[in-house]
Amino acid sequence: MTAGGAGLQGRLKRLLAVTTAAAMVGFAAVGCGGSSGDSSSTSGGPVTLEFAQWWAPELPAGSFDKLISDFTAQNPNIKVKLLSAPYASTKQQLVSGAASRTLPDVVGLDGAWVSDFAKQGAITDLSKLMSDAKYDASQLASQVQVKGKTYMIPVVNFVYPLFVNKDLLTKAGVTTAPSTRTQFLDAAKKVSALGGNVKGWALPLDTAVPNGIQNDVMSWLWASGGSMLTQDGKPNLTSPQVKSTVEYVKSLNDAGVIAPGALTMKEQDKVEKFTTGQVGMVIDSLAHINLIKKNSPKLNFTVAPVPAEDSYTGKRGIPYASWGIGIAESSKHKAEAFKLVQYLMSQQTNAQLSTLANGFPGNKTAEPDFSKSDPLFKTAFDIYKKGYPANEFVGLPKSEELMRSFDEQLQLVLTGKQSVDDALNKTQESWSSVL
Amino acid sequence: MLTRKRRRLGVKIGVLAGLCIGAAFAGLPVVWMLSTSFKTNGEVFQVPPRLITKNFSFDAYRQILGSASQLRFFLNSYIVALSVTALTLLVAILAAYGFSRYNFPLKKSINAAIVSVQAVPPITLVIPYFGLVVALGLYNTYPGLILTHTVFTLPYAIIMTTAYFNTLPRELDESVKVDGASSWTALWRILVPISVPGLIAVGVYTFMISWNEYLFALTLTRTDDMRTVPIGIQLLMGQHSYEWNQIMAMSILGSIPVLVLFLIFQRRFIGGLTSGAVKA
Amino acid sequence: MEPARVDQTAFPEAATVVEQTPPAARGRSRPFTLRGLVPFGYLSPTVLLILVLMVIPIAMVVSYSFKDNVIVEQNPVFTGLANYTKVLTDPNFLVAIKNTFIFITLSTIAHLVLGLAFAMMLNTPLLSGVTKAIFRIVYILPWLFTIAVIAVIWRLMLDPSGVVNYVLTTVGGLQHGVNWLSDPNTALWALTFINIWSGYPFFMISLLAGLQGISSDLYEAAAVDGASAIQQFRHVTIPQLRPVLISMAVLDLIWTSQQFALIWLTTGGGPLNVTEMLSTFTYKQAFSNYEFATASAAAVIVLLITMILAFFYVRQQRER
Repeated sequence: MTAGGAGLQGRLKRLLAVTTAAAMVGFAAVGCGGSSGDSSSTSGGPVTLEFAQWWAPELPAGSFDKLISDFTAQNPNIKVKLLSAPYASTKQQLVSGAASRTLPDVVGLDGAWVSDFAKQGAITDLSKLMSDAKYDASQLASQVQVKGKTYMIPVVNFVYPLFVNKDLLTKAGVTTAPSTRTQFLDAAKKVSALGGNVKGWALPLDTAVPNGIQNDVMSWLWASGGSMLTQDGKPNLTSPQVKSTVEYVKSLNDAGVIAPGALTMKEQDKVEKFTTGQVGMVIDSLAHINLIKKNSPKLNFTVAPVPAEDSYTGKRGIPYASWGIGIAESSKHKAEAFKLVQYLMSQQTNAQLSTLANGFPGNKTAEPDFSKSDPLFKTAFDIYKKGYPANEFVGLPKSEELMRSFDEQLQLVLTGKQSVDDALNKTQESWSSVL
Repeated sequence: MLTRKRRRLGVKIGVLAGLCIGAAFAGLPVVWMLSTSFKTNGEVFQVPPRLITKNFSFDAYRQILGSASQLRFFLNSYIVALSVTALTLLVAILAAYGFSRYNFPLKKSINAAIVSVQAVPPITLVIPYFGLVVALGLYNTYPGLILTHTVFTLPYAIIMTTAYFNTLPRELDESVKVDGASSWTALWRILVPISVPGLIAVGVYTFMISWNEYLFALTLTRTDDMRTVPIGIQLLMGQHSYEWNQIMAMSILGSIPVLVLFLIFQRRFIGGLTSGAVKA
Repeated sequence: MEPARVDQTAFPEAATVVEQTPPAARGRSRPFTLRGLVPFGYLSPTVLLILVLMVIPIAMVVSYSFKDNVIVEQNPVFTGLANYTKVLTDPNFLVAIKNTFIFITLSTIAHLVLGLAFAMMLNTPLLSGVTKAIFRIVYILPWLFTIAVIAVIWRLMLDPSGVVNYVLTTVGGLQHGVNWLSDPNTALWALTFINIWSGYPFFMISLLAGLQGISSDLYEAAAVDGASAIQQFRHVTIPQLRPVLISMAVLDLIWTSQQFALIWLTTGGGPLNVTEMLSTFTYKQAFSNYEFATASAAAVIVLLITMILAFFYVRQQRER
């Protein structure tokens, strides 16, 4: 099996060395030939593409299959096999697949995985495919690049605004959604004072999937225009802004407004607590509107920008997550795979998909259909337009591990075992070894 | 005499009380599981908690049983678990016969190696194993999953079967061999039929392990038409929400085959008591 | 009717594989004859399966562990024991060893105690067969569920606003609910408790079979000698069950040390690493750090530890 490793290194070397288009084509053939003799991809019968993603389970039942069958109707020589599983399972399978060069042709990607997969040579350079297909990349809202090459195209973007349970806040005597940190603390205290199991805010810090650091902690930083990195991409965790963010989270914890069980709470639990009216406010993905309404039709809630520092007046960074798409390096049908990518990014399809998912289109020219979607979606779009998308974890190597080490230190702070300064210094140290 | 009777009664009541406490420990979580499967998702965290809620319904069961893809998980689990059981029994019977009836060089080492294999933490093997299964062309196939589960169930199955064969007197198979039959015939005509109770125990153990196995079933399959029940249950725990009632309903449904197997296993064993008598 | 006689022979004798060389075979077995090959024929399917699907992956893991970061890096080169030094000096790894030790020892002891207690109650001659059969089914319930579900149901019940806290605060006299799985002071104990719940039935069944294998003559003889119930337990039951108890304990230590899904799906190793185990440590190294080499080194260390347990198991077999 070491042969597999050697082949991989060889391919990686070539990936770095080869720049011209002609050589890239040759390389692709060699790369595939390594595992099981290449078959010429364009000749003869229909081609079957495997497409692994976690999107279908999150969309209204059957709607993603419908979009894909429209694609295959337009392209009779291409068949698409959807491999659908929830996010965590998809990730586990892609990591195993990347390690043994058996990724499906087209893969759904999270910005946080891109750097590692690209480094392993598991996903292919899309810049090359775009130029081969004479694709107009200017219509793309964003591209995720590693060392100047595009490896992922965000198909749909989801922002993470503050979700506010209007009934709970009204009951607690808070009339408008908080806009500053002081207002938020105040509102959270009042909601927590309602008693019972109700708390003001939920903070999922489970270390198994430490996304809470990105969505629920760093979002406070970004909302005030802060950054956790220096200009040249080095960690900058000891800056006053990061410190004030962590101190603020600590003050929320000290005030007892965070729902119990935070240290092992998962994202699902956070949504669950909001849906069942156990917390007044959460920072959550817009994608969850449908889910919350389905599980709790009577919940009266709205979305608002994440509160910023009291004195902050600039544009607010809004954390986002993407459904990204990439193509496997080992795919024998890269041209066909790119056709599928093009289809999903096309003005019409991209608009449809965004509307279905309550996300924002990855194609700049696509307009989501607000008439068919939830009114909250329009509210969120307005918030989005006033701010800017911010997620500094996208494209970082080992981003999950970065979040985890931050998470572990934050847990020490929240349990009173460490000071904020010590925690940030230690995190800075461990991040520095990676970045 | 009276005091003795009374003491007997006291002991009986004590044992019954102990059994009930133990049963509460064992059974209450399952009761809660059952109760959750009849709730709507909104009622799961209702305060105060209720065992039976006002929206009591069989919807979750209907959704599971009405969905072709969910039923496919059950079919897959049956195919895999039954094949694993059959294959494990076959291979284990042969190996156990070798260990029990022969003496040969390296016997101790081979046995020790087989025992050690079950000491290998499966989690550590996932990555190389994945590569191996892909290289063998068994990724996302039944044979891939069946062989994998078999390798993990085999060591203990061999240990159990060998132990059972060791309890059976050698005179039994020797008597057939005297008549000119081969060791092969002696194994299948004599040893296996009287070992049925022991083999059922091995089979049930194997079936349960395979039916409930999670890590490799997740890693070695990629499409829904190959996935098994534990993965199907996990698929109901999306990134964003738990379909509590369906998870519980599917777990309850998934446990039924195992429960039925256990019930049959108990009954069949009474029939096999005679072979237990051989031991005594 | 006595339906309680479960697999009485299969489990308790689990320990007698090797040394019972049948006397009849001894005189005749000559090496290098055709007949000498017969046992290898019987063993060949096993050997083939284990060689291909176990030994090869293990060899791969071992080879990864001596190299510079494999799979991800371009040039994995031989680095000797560097990965081992890295793992063994990682404070998280040492914490994981400590936690794993606590977790598996407590689980095993509880499994044995509960398994034996339940098995003895289920074996009592005082109750009717039907009563015992019903209890037996209730008692094996935890065994019927896949580990993912066990994690979910316990997360649900142990949630800060879940049913356990509700009962404890309303009728149990507790002032505040406990964050069972997220309080660093309780998480490891709560997790161990869940593992005890999910794992005892296998022991109970094995020990039940063991109990039924004890000849009633022994108890009668003890009773004639005037032995009390406790004395009978100490001088008849325990010595008779000893081999089963020991081999089950060793097997359980091995199996529990491999527990991954339960920990991952309940606490993920947190809070504050108090439930970090060897299995979760290895998983994080591989699947979120992409440090396949250090993951392999950790795996080999775990393998060595479990091999030691396996060695004791084999020796236990031989001593019988």
